[in-house]
Amino acid sequence: MRKLLTYMLTGVAMGIVSTASAADLKDVENSFYPYKASVPQHEGLKSGMTINQSNVEQFKDILDEGMYQFIKDGWTEMKVTDTMAFELNKAYIEATKANLNKAVLGDKTGDIKGFISGRPFPAEPSLDDPKAGEKLAWNYKYGYNWGDSGAVYPFYWKFRDLNSAKVERTLKFNFHFLNLKHRVNDEPLPDLPKNPANLFRAIYVQVLEPFDVKNTQLLIHRYEDDLKRDNAWLYLGFQRRVRRLATGQITDSFLGSDLMIEDFEGYNGRISDMTWTYKGTKNVMMPFYKHNEQELSTEYKMSDGYQFVEYGGKGGCFPNVDWQLRKVYVLESVPVDPNHPISKRIHYVDAETFTLPRTVIYDRKGELWKTFIIGQAHPDYHLAKNKGSGVSIDDSFMMLDVQGAHCTTGQFKGQIDSKLSPRKKFTVQNMRVTGK
Amino acid sequence: MTKKKYLKLGSKAAALSMAAALSVTGLSGAYAGTSADGTLEWSGFLENATFLRKDVGLVKFRNTVQLELVKQFNTGNTFSELSFNVTFRGSYDGVYDLNKRDFGRNAGGAINLQSTFSAGPPSVPHGGGLVSTGAFFFGFDTAANPNSGLIVLGSDSHANDQGGVSFGVPVRPCDIDNRGCIPGYLDLSLDNLRFPEFNSRMDFLREAYIDGSIPFSNGHELNIRLGRQQVVWGRTDLFRVLDVINPVDFSRQNIYDELEDIRIPQWILNMDYRMGAVGSFDDLNLNLVWNFDKFRPNSLGQGGTPYQILGAGGFFRGMKNCWDNGCTVANFAGLPVPGTTGLAATDFAPGSIGIRSAQMPKWKIGNTQIGFKVEGVKNGVGFSLNYLTYLSQLPSLRGGSAGPAALNNFTGEVKPWPYLIAFDIAFPRIHLFGGSADFYVDSIKSVFRVEAAYTTGEEFANTLRPELFSKNDVVRYVIGWDRDTFIPFLNKDKAFLLSAQLFGQHILNHELQDTPATLAGVPGFTKAGIPDWKSNWIMTFLFKGWYMQNRLSPQILSAYDFRAGSAVISPSVDWLISDSWRLIVAANFKFGKGPRKFDDCRSCNPWGPFTATPFHANPFAAGSVGLGGFEPLGRFRAGPIGMASREDEIQVTLRYRF
Repeated sequence: MRKLLTYMLTGVAMGIVSTASAADLKDVENSFYPYKASVPQHEGLKSGMTINQSNVEQFKDILDEGMYQFIKDGWTEMKVTDTMAFELNKAYIEATKANLNKAVLGDKTGDIKGFISGRPFPAEPSLDDPKAGEKLAWNYKYGYNWGDSGAVYPFYWKFRDLNSAKVERTLKFNFHFLNLKHRVNDEPLPDLPKNPANLFRAIYVQVLEPFDVKNTQLLIHRYEDDLKRDNAWLYLGFQRRVRRLATGQITDSFLGSDLMIEDFEGYNGRISDMTWTYKGTKNVMMPFYKHNEQELSTEYKMSDGYQFVEYGGKGGCFPNVDWQLRKVYVLESVPVDPNHPISKRIHYVDAETFTLPRTVIYDRKGELWKTFIIGQAHPDYHLAKNKGSGVSIDDSFMMLDVQGAHCTTGQFKGQIDSKLSPRKKFTVQNMRVTGK
Repeated sequence: MTKKKYLKLGSKAAALSMAAALSVTGLSGAYAGTSADGTLEWSGFLENATFLRKDVGLVKFRNTVQLELVKQFNTGNTFSELSFNVTFRGSYDGVYDLNKRDFGRNAGGAINLQSTFSAGPPSVPHGGGLVSTGAFFFGFDTAANPNSGLIVLGSDSHANDQGGVSFGVPVRPCDIDNRGCIPGYLDLSLDNLRFPEFNSRMDFLREAYIDGSIPFSNGHELNIRLGRQQVVWGRTDLFRVLDVINPVDFSRQNIYDELEDIRIPQWILNMDYRMGAVGSFDDLNLNLVWNFDKFRPNSLGQGGTPYQILGAGGFFRGMKNCWDNGCTVANFAGLPVPGTTGLAATDFAPGSIGIRSAQMPKWKIGNTQIGFKVEGVKNGVGFSLNYLTYLSQLPSLRGGSAGPAALNNFTGEVKPWPYLIAFDIAFPRIHLFGGSADFYVDSIKSVFRVEAAYTTGEEFANTLRPELFSKNDVVRYVIGWDRDTFIPFLNKDKAFLLSAQLFGQHILNHELQDTPATLAGVPGFTKAGIPDWKSNWIMTFLFKGWYMQNRLSPQILSAYDFRAGSAVISPSVDWLISDSWRLIVAANFKFGKGPRKFDDCRSCNPWGPFTATPFHANPFAAGSVGLGGFEPLGRFRAGPIGMASREDEIQVTLRYRF
């Protein structure tokens, strides 16, 4: 019984065998409202309780490998809340319906045709479908991650020693995201005009502190054609010059943190850079919470009173946030490039939001290297401006290097505000003008 | 200097450096900050840089404070963004107080200059030339130009016993010994040297500009930055092909300092019209730069300072002293004494050879500098097209028939003499046409950067011309290659940056000819013409790694000058101790041929027939037959690496950020 509740291999449970069958509106309904009929349960799991060393064995089946071990070792505890719906923006759901079954994959990974907007593949994945993993990846890539545009403004990163809990370095950023295509909310829709390079998305990062990397800026241009390599540039404040980034720098430690640029948001690369395999559907504890009801940090004073997520546990690496039992798709990505610094990632894809709240990363030898948490905050319990935005807000992260006994934590002030991310911010020239 | 002194000064400097660091630690209340309304931000740093040079000792004990302020303004309707940015920098270089024997008020001393004339002594003191007072118009007043506070030209970079030309160079600060100081150009007092930012040009105000953006209804935007600032063009490191808008201060650390720290800010109007995506361009921008500041040349370092690119500062100061006060020139005169060989040290009278003046361009509209740039991205390739008209930041020595009226030491006649080494310094106007591009080649995981410029109006020393210089067009370029590469046995977690650059320079219509003496195979003679290589390349290679979350970064930077045959290797370790503290330990070692020889114009026969050599078919005809040595023109063949071949250093920099 427990197994039935907690480990649903979707393809088997639902009897879907056809890999090419068209999705219908019911699939859309199931995709966006997985908790409409019921929420997942697990024996002994109750809202308000804490999973810790003393009871972790009871919940082993609903914990991913990394979190189970961390709790077992006493590195962290997990506060449990009820599963709640994180309903995505209605326009995104409507776009999914309007464009249902228009997206078609080609033979080559990364080749997609006909996609307009919304979730491209809302049907439940099937283990029998060799393209199921890639479809999940596309659903993530074309997800409603930050909406049409968003900003993390500001964004604090801390480099921490796992054993001593010493904060070695604190970086302060602004992050900006803009979708140039497949937009569903902010006019013009679905695509911005004057996009000769046919870019899908742009990311702009500005470092504000500390002094040695102040004014460093990063710009990433992602093409609509997934088979085309991203363009990326770095502006170095001390050189006052824009430098084009090589791909190697995208799979390398970003400014000394435990993240590579490819790790941003869970995965920040091309679909075609990986081989994607759907491994099944599970109910797993995930960091989804109401930001305003968490224990928050008083370290940074924002003029609007906003407080960031607090950290604790071993090394101060773990966000002090609530976790809830959610339906996830287990998705494996293996780099196509044999020289890639990792051998694979295991993503726990949240089935409702298609965010990547948990990712486990393995080194080239196949040994556990890093484990990634991205805490998701409900927009209605966050900044007032985010209310009703239908964005599952990235709100806290931890990238823990278990081999190096080191972690990088991130405290977000996510803002769904298109004024913070005007298109002019996403140009190379803006880096020169903004820099000094 | 002995190894003992090296170590003694080293430990003394290190102790002082530590003292400075400890005093900085006391400033625990200082921190970067933001005003309550978030519109004013401030930050800065304190730094001590202690450099030790082999066989010299302390060459830098610079203590710096830098403060940066940014004030954002309510933009109203016209501007979408408006801010005022200020950077103050002040420094004190204690080397002039701690090592005053080499660089301060006690620097230099009495010198002897070689004299190969076989019937005379092998060397003579300054003022004791074998041809001197009493012979025609030769000789000078040693009371006005005494044999003290001097070094022999080039003695810090090469031997002076090989029959070449040389003379004394005053090396004390200009307020202590004003000999050889060039008003308005190279005339720094002890305080100017110790406190380099506190001068009449207010260099402590490193930057001060208003920055604003005006949006237009079509989505375009005009960005205006007005004030004292640095404007950086180009895509390459270390080399200045397009990055020539601001002059630079080579006196800080020759060619080895970060350009960010040595660009001399100028009062500039810098406007960008940003169009974003236009037509087939992913990004397109127009840029206008108007440098309306009073002209500033590059700071080359002054005679008597630790860093002088190409040793130019010492040469200029010695030459200026020759003009003002007369001087003894080693190995100059061939005396008509039967049975003798060699050349006798000669005392030239004031106003006969040397540098008369530097003609510093005055401020007027016609002397301002203006540039245009079109920059954008198309098909993933970043590009720029550039044009700049500017005044040369490097000096041009106009001599001979274009030089000052000079005293013929044989006849007493005063007039400009073709081929005579009497000069005025000028800063000619240059027109630069250039472009740059960068692109990524996925198949080899590499970024390429290219930058090229074609200039007209540059002037080069040229011993084949009666005016001893010629205007030559020049092509320069840099091809850069960057690749991040994992080297697992060195670091399995983080890739290393491999970065190589090839800098090329080609002087068009280059002149370099054999002379009758070189054709005859006579030792000691070289070809005559332009000492700079017609075509030359410098290769740089950077190997950089990171450990401990980028807080520890070792690197090796190396450069090789192909034609000069000189190389430099600079290993360093950059340790970010914390967000506030940073320690850099570096070394700088040179290898290769070092100084090179070239026609020095001793055989230019400006005062024929008296100065004619056996190789002058017509003893009345002026023109070089190529007698050469290290000085003065060999420096152009040795290049900045070769001329600094004796400047191996260990460098420690400690910075506290707030």
